[in-house]
Amino acid sequence: MWSALEKMPAPATTYERIVYKNPSEHHYMKVCLEFQDRGVGLNAAQFRQLLISALKDLFGEVDAALPLDILTYEEKTLSAILRICSSGLVKLWSSLTLLGSYKGKKCAFRVIQVSPFLLALSGNSRELVLD
Amino acid sequence: MVRFKHRYLLCEVVSDDPRCRLSLEDRVLGGLIRDTIARVHGTFGAASCSIGFAVRYLNAYTGIVLLRCRKEFYQLVCSALPFVTYLENKGHRYPCFLNTLHVGGTIRTCQKFLIRYNRRQLLILLQNCTDEGEREAIQKSVTRSCLLEERSDEEELSDNGGEEAAEAMQ
Repeated sequence: MWSALEKMPAPATTYERIVYKNPSEHHYMKVCLEFQDRGVGLNAAQFRQLLISALKDLFGEVDAALPLDILTYEEKTLSAILRICSSGLVKLWSSLTLLGSYKGKKCAFRVIQVSPFLLALSGNSRELVLD
Repeated sequence: MVRFKHRYLLCEVVSDDPRCRLSLEDRVLGGLIRDTIARVHGTFGAASCSIGFAVRYLNAYTGIVLLRCRKEFYQLVCSALPFVTYLENKGHRYPCFLNTLHVGGTIRTCQKFLIRYNRRQLLILLQNCTDEGEREAIQKSVTRSCLLEERSDEEELSDNGGEEAAEAMQ
């Protein structure tokens, strides 16, 4: 039986199997920054500087250089949608959790929604108001 | 079976300035590497690497340093070593870099590697040396190291022979 198999010709087509464990390279986070006192405003550049300094405090210069993007930012409500590569999600989230103050004023990051798909951030069932 | 496992990093301090190696001290170097890890990997890196961190062996003449760190975090230490760019001692700053030669699980494996590495370095020095007096001194060290190598090989063989004889008797 083995000799018969050896004499069989090689198949004409070759198969290639690709397995995707995680289809999305990026994760999207909807976050909101809350200050203890009111009346503190940040523009987009200061917000980005705050995020990078949070990463640099906890994880150093290597992880402060993670490819982080701010997709939208609203200055009135201080809320933003961030995009980070999937390997850096845990690091970003933990550094946002441990961020305590900005220029001496106490503040905290509230993470509203996290998803590997941007479309999922358009609707949030937690904020749904049923009449 | 339940113990803390370590990784031992064998590094060489390379510098243009000959005074740099002479001013090597284990506490100064340990503090410098800890500061570098804190800069490169942040509070998390500094805390995780400094638990089991120690400078185990330091040779000021050859510039060989043996560092110990925990097995789970040795990659953080390894990746922070290229960021060490200077050595500061008594107000003098010497530019230098750390060259990682070997990563081992025990001090014994690092020692075996260091012996083989030093023998090879002696042969390279013999090729490159220009002075006759230096040449004779290096040749003497090379022959002495070869004799020591033969003796240690004989001891290993006789140990093995003893074990085989014991098995044969049983």
